[in-house]
Amino acid sequence: MATVIDKAKREGLEARDAQRARSSRRYLGLLTGAAVVTFLLIVGIIGTILIKGLPSINWAFLSDLPREGMTAGGIWPMIRGSLLLMFGTMLVVLPVGVLGGIYMAEYAGESRFVGLIRSSLVSLAATPSIVYGLFGLAVFVLAWKLGTSLMAGWLTLALFSLPVVIITTESAIRAVPESLVEGGLALGLSKGQTIRKIVLPNAASGIATGIVLSTGRAAGEAPPILLTAGIYYSTGQLEMNLETLRKPVANLPYHLAEGYRQGGVIPESIIWGTCVVLMGLVLLINLGAILVRARSRARSLQS
Amino acid sequence: MNNGTPLEDYVISARNLRAFYGNQEALKGVGCQVAGRRVTSLIGPSGCGKSTFLRCLNRMNDRIPGFRIDGDLRIMGADPYAKGADLMKLRRQVGMVFQKPNPFPMTIFENVAIGPKLHYGLKGSELEGVVEEALKEAALWGEVRDVLTKSGLSLSGGQQQRLCIARMLAVRPEVLLMDEPCSALDPISTAKIEELIVALKERHTLLVVTHNLQQAERISDYTAFFMFGELVEYGQSTQLFGSPVKSETQDYVSGRFG
Repeated sequence: MATVIDKAKREGLEARDAQRARSSRRYLGLLTGAAVVTFLLIVGIIGTILIKGLPSINWAFLSDLPREGMTAGGIWPMIRGSLLLMFGTMLVVLPVGVLGGIYMAEYAGESRFVGLIRSSLVSLAATPSIVYGLFGLAVFVLAWKLGTSLMAGWLTLALFSLPVVIITTESAIRAVPESLVEGGLALGLSKGQTIRKIVLPNAASGIATGIVLSTGRAAGEAPPILLTAGIYYSTGQLEMNLETLRKPVANLPYHLAEGYRQGGVIPESIIWGTCVVLMGLVLLINLGAILVRARSRARSLQS
Repeated sequence: MNNGTPLEDYVISARNLRAFYGNQEALKGVGCQVAGRRVTSLIGPSGCGKSTFLRCLNRMNDRIPGFRIDGDLRIMGADPYAKGADLMKLRRQVGMVFQKPNPFPMTIFENVAIGPKLHYGLKGSELEGVVEEALKEAALWGEVRDVLTKSGLSLSGGQQQRLCIARMLAVRPEVLLMDEPCSALDPISTAKIEELIVALKERHTLLVVTHNLQQAERISDYTAFFMFGELVEYGQSTQLFGSPVKSETQDYVSGRFG
C-alpha cells in the first residue's frame, strides 16, 4: 500500500483539509447560535414569569381560599383541584396505558392494521388538546351524563395523555435488549413470565417517566378541562366525598385562562402568581420523573 | 430433573432437516445424530447454518418472522416441533448460552434463582441450595459466594458468561447449547469456559458453535462442519481435524478459506 502520493495531489489534499476545517467552524457557529437563541427564549419566558409572579407568592397565597369575588386571597382550591385532576388522570392512565403499551410492543405484531393503529396513536399524541375537550364534552359530559365534573375531567385528561403513555411504554419495552428477552425465553420462561420478570423491570423507569411527564403535561392543559371539569367561581367548600367526583373542580390552568379573560377585574399579581405556581407544579412533577429515572438506573448498575 | 440415569446413545437426531428464513434456505437437508454426554462442536464459515441448526434445537428461531422448518428432528425421542409440543418444557431440557453474556440486571443470586423459582416453585433454603450447586457447577461459586447480592452486571465478562451458564444449569437441562460462548471473552476467561465445558459433559450433552478451530479440537469429542447450509462432514474431532474425508473440510480446517 505504499503508493507515492505526488506533490500536486498532496497540496490539493491540504487545501481540502483547510476547507473542511472552515466549514466545520461554520456549522459550529450555526449550532451555537441556535443554542443561544433557545436559551435566551427560555430564560426570557421563565424570567418574566418569575419577576412578575414571585412577589405574590407567600404561604397565604398558597393555602388560603380566594376572597372578594376572586380578586383577593389565595389559590389553594385551584392547587388542590389540579392535584386531584392529575392524581385521577394517573389512576386511569396507568393501567390502560401500560397494558396498551405492552400489547403494542409484544403482542400486536406487524400487520397493516397495527400500523394504522400506531400512526393513529402518533397523530392523537399531536392532536390539539381542545379537540379532546370537545370530545370529552360530547361523550363524557353529555352522552354519559357525567356533567361538568371531576370525573369527566379525569377521563378527558386520561384520553389526552394515553397516546403518549402508550407510545413511551412501547418504546421503553422495545428498548429492553433483545438479548435479555432471549435469555429469559431460553430459560424456559413463558412469554408472560419473561415480560413480567425481565422486560417490565427493565422498562419500568422509562414507563414511569412517560406517565409522569404526560400527566404533568396534562395538568397544565386548560382546554380539555375548560369544557369538562373546570369551574371558576369556587365556592371554597373543600370537603371531599363521593359527591366531589360529580362536581366541577377549580384548577390552576382554568384559573389562569379565566382570570385573564376577565380583563382587568382580577389583579395581575394573582394571575402571575398562579403562573408561577403552575410552572412550579409542573417542574416538581418533572423533577419526580428525573428522580425515578436516576434511581432505577443506579439500581440496575449498583455493585 | 436430571437423575443421572444413563441416556440413550443419541440425544439428538436430525433427518433431512431444512430451515428457511422467508425464501432463503438456511439449512438444506441436514442429517446427524448427536451423542449423549459428549461435546459436539459446530464449525464452519459465517452464514453456513451452524447457528441456525443450534437454534432449531431449542426453537429460538421461532421468534424470527418468516422462519420455518421442514424434515425430522428428535430431541430425547420427542419432536420439538410437533403440534402441541411443550415449548417451555423443551427449553427447560435444552438450555442455551449466548455469544454475548446476557446476565439479567438483577443480583447474582436472583439471576440463578429465577429459573428454579419460576419452574419448580423452590424457595428458601431449598432454592439457596440449588443456586449454590449451580454456581459450583459453573465454577463460579468461589468468586461470588460473598457477593451474591451484587448485581450480575458488576462481574467481569468471563464471570458473567459463567453466571449465564449457572443460570442455565439451575433449571437442570440435559442438553446445553452454546453459541460462540467465548468469542466475546479474553483468553484466560476462554480457558476457564473451555475447562468448564469439558467438565460439564459428565452430566450433560453439549453442542458448541465456535469459530475457533483449535477450541473445537481441544474441547469436543465430535465435530460437525457446515458449509452453505449443508452438513459437509461430521465425525470424531480427532478424525475430522486429523484426516478429513472431504476436500472442503480439509481446506477449511487447514485455514485455506473461511
